Amino acid sequence: MVVLNFTLSEDGVAVLHDALACMFKFSDEVCLEARKEKLMLTTLNISKSAYVCYSFAATRFFSGYKFEGSPQYREKFSCQLYIKSLLAIFRTRQGGGETAYGRDASIERCDVAIDDGVGKKSRLVARVSFRNGITASHILPYEVKAPTHAKFNKQEARNQWAISSKTLRQLMDHFGPGIELLDINTDEDSNLVNFTCFTEKVQKRGGANSETVLKKPLHTNIAVEMDEFDNVQVEDKLHIIISVKDFRAILQHAQITSGELATSYSNPGRPMKLYYAADGILCEFILMTVGEKDAREPRQKTARPNASAKTPRPELDAASHRASSMSNSACQQALPDPTPQTVAQPPQQPQNPTSSRPRPPPAFHLRPPQQPPPGTAQSEDSLFMGPAPHELDDDRQWEPINPDEDEEEEENARLEWNSTSDPNISTLRISSYLQKSSTSTEDTPSDRLVSGLDPTQRLSQVRRFGLFTD
Amino acid sequence: MDAPDPPIFRAVTSSTRLLYQLLKAINFTNKVHVEITEKGIRFSTDHARVMQGVTHWDKSLFTSYTTNIPAPEESNGNPDDEDDAPPPSVIFQLSLPALLETLQIFGAADAAARQARSDIDPYRSTNLRNYRSDAFSNQTLGMSNGTCSLSYNAEGDPFSIILEEGSVKTTCNLTTYVPEIPEDIPFDIEDLGFKIITQAKWLLDALAELAPASPEKLIITASKAAPYLKLTSVGGALGSGGIDFAQGKDLLETFSVRKKKWSQAFKFDMLKAANEAMRIATKVSLRGDGQGVLSMQFLVEVGGEGGGVCFLDFRFVPYADREEEDDDETECEEGEHGMEVDG
Repeated sequence: MVVLNFTLSEDGVAVLHDALACMFKFSDEVCLEARKEKLMLTTLNISKSAYVCYSFAATRFFSGYKFEGSPQYREKFSCQLYIKSLLAIFRTRQGGGETAYGRDASIERCDVAIDDGVGKKSRLVARVSFRNGITASHILPYEVKAPTHAKFNKQEARNQWAISSKTLRQLMDHFGPGIELLDINTDEDSNLVNFTCFTEKVQKRGGANSETVLKKPLHTNIAVEMDEFDNVQVEDKLHIIISVKDFRAILQHAQITSGELATSYSNPGRPMKLYYAADGILCEFILMTVGEKDAREPRQKTARPNASAKTPRPELDAASHRASSMSNSACQQALPDPTPQTVAQPPQQPQNPTSSRPRPPPAFHLRPPQQPPPGTAQSEDSLFMGPAPHELDDDRQWEPINPDEDEEEEENARLEWNSTSDPNISTLRISSYLQKSSTSTEDTPSDRLVSGLDPTQRLSQVRRFGLFTD
Repeated sequence: MDAPDPPIFRAVTSSTRLLYQLLKAINFTNKVHVEITEKGIRFSTDHARVMQGVTHWDKSLFTSYTTNIPAPEESNGNPDDEDDAPPPSVIFQLSLPALLETLQIFGAADAAARQARSDIDPYRSTNLRNYRSDAFSNQTLGMSNGTCSLSYNAEGDPFSIILEEGSVKTTCNLTTYVPEIPEDIPFDIEDLGFKIITQAKWLLDALAELAPASPEKLIITASKAAPYLKLTSVGGALGSGGIDFAQGKDLLETFSVRKKKWSQAFKFDMLKAANEAMRIATKVSLRGDGQGVLSMQFLVEVGGEGGGVCFLDFRFVPYADREEEDDDETECEEGEHGMEVDG
């Protein structure tokens, strides 16, 4: 039976296409979730550092929209499709206005129906009717799958600002080439909001001694008057760092869709939400941010990008266990990340949000050869871990590296402190497995548990024996 | 045989653009059969004997055209033209890529300009297809003051193309090869299953619509009732699709179907190879015969001298067996057809 049936006008097709094109920059697949009152397209990028969600209001956006719950799907229906095939269907066709033959090939309407049910082939059927009478029908298979949503805690996000997307888009033109990260911070004294962009990519130089230099030692800072922003409520001098690629993709879409882009975020390391709305469409993006302390780890050559940052991920609320196991495996694949340069990439491992452990500092504080990004507070001279005294008791610091995970990165494996968001082996007991199904935040790869060693005694307990000098 | 002096064939033209476009449209193989007659030159390409493309350059396309074709002798190995038995002709094979390259020498600047124009903005993934066939716009057609002369002196000599522009004279000699006996794919005009004439643009659109799913087969169905012309793609990686003209019967300028339905399956890539022809042509005449062979004849309008026209002819041999239910019906019909014709 037809579970979902909607009709789009020519403009609707164009808007949908723009939304899909933006999503395509993040991921290859999109999850379509249909409810009675709206249709949502969501996707998560492969490193799970960005979540995109478009909501289309049933009445305002579509020319016709009908969701019929079947016994199987009462409230909502969700499936996963390839963006590429959707893009091909929903592209705008040339009108061919100059043709002398009158009829043009632009779209008159587009009907999409999702056919699902017992004993029926799951198909999405899109019929595009052109003005000249030609009708094209496309039949796409889909996979019924529950979507993963990223949760964003509005209460927690105290900082926010909004600005016209066109202005922001213009700023992007000034970004230097080959940049990866964007640091947004405010300065109340000068009434400025600074956009600093830089890259952490390092280059190996010199064969024997693995010297590394920053590949693009250029920091570009664009200062914008705070007056250009609306509704500014930010903590002064707070730096928040996001990926430029995602930001650019968002701005590109925001510019053509709506006027104003609003953001809200809390601390570095916590997710940041960008959102804007247009007629009948609401666009939300949740990006992972890099914590300020962890912004510069150019020395990290290990395969574990999370070695640099301790920042938690957005809590993913998986609707089903299936999704959590999928995210688990995807997480595992993302872990042995072979690019050692993208150090500041947001980590894959989340921190248990309820953990009371303080964040252990990153393993290495190497001063990069150039001026570090502004606002970095940590001591830059220490080559070794120099944690604050109260953080010494973190047992996780003392975990051995597990060489088995880095099959691909054998040559890069070094003995390092795994003081990361890798969950402490000792606490990874059955409880964490149980937690997985509910929150799915512990994307603990199961094999790591097996090979780890449980510490026999807590550090705090042995400190008094004077075994450690500090 | 031939007096050494008068060349067998010599023609001069001022624009290679058109010739280049027409040859490019049948560019799906390496060798092209060239047949020179008094009336014009015929280029034909063949792919595995299931696909064939022919373009005929009438002598009126050239500013000057002279032939001195030797009369056919008994021992002469030159096969006669298939369509016209009497006129003497010279047949040989040329390397098509080489031929295309030489014709491009003049138009090189245009090609670069065209590339630049069709650059796609990396942020927007919409495909901007240019419908205007820019084969015949002024800037592409006319070379400023160049001439191109094609000549074939004697049998076995290379086919030479001399391009002169300003003070630069480029001579290209292309090796001629002994022709394989080119048999045209049999298409029985007397036994038409259907005939549809429509704009080439719609056909191009239809194939472009179906192409993204990378389908394997394309099933063309012409039926008396709606949907009159239907193109269905199957076997695609990303799903299947179909185009039908149910609402757009008036797009089909000529429409006649003999029996209730004519339906055949073809390899999608073969039809896709005719895209270039669809792009430059104005109209296309689709005909299917009783055996299932599809003939696509494209009408290319040539600007300039008196609004001449050029034809591009394609023939496709369908898949032998289809798995759809319609198979039996169609095959029965064809079987009957065959018997009627033979009888």
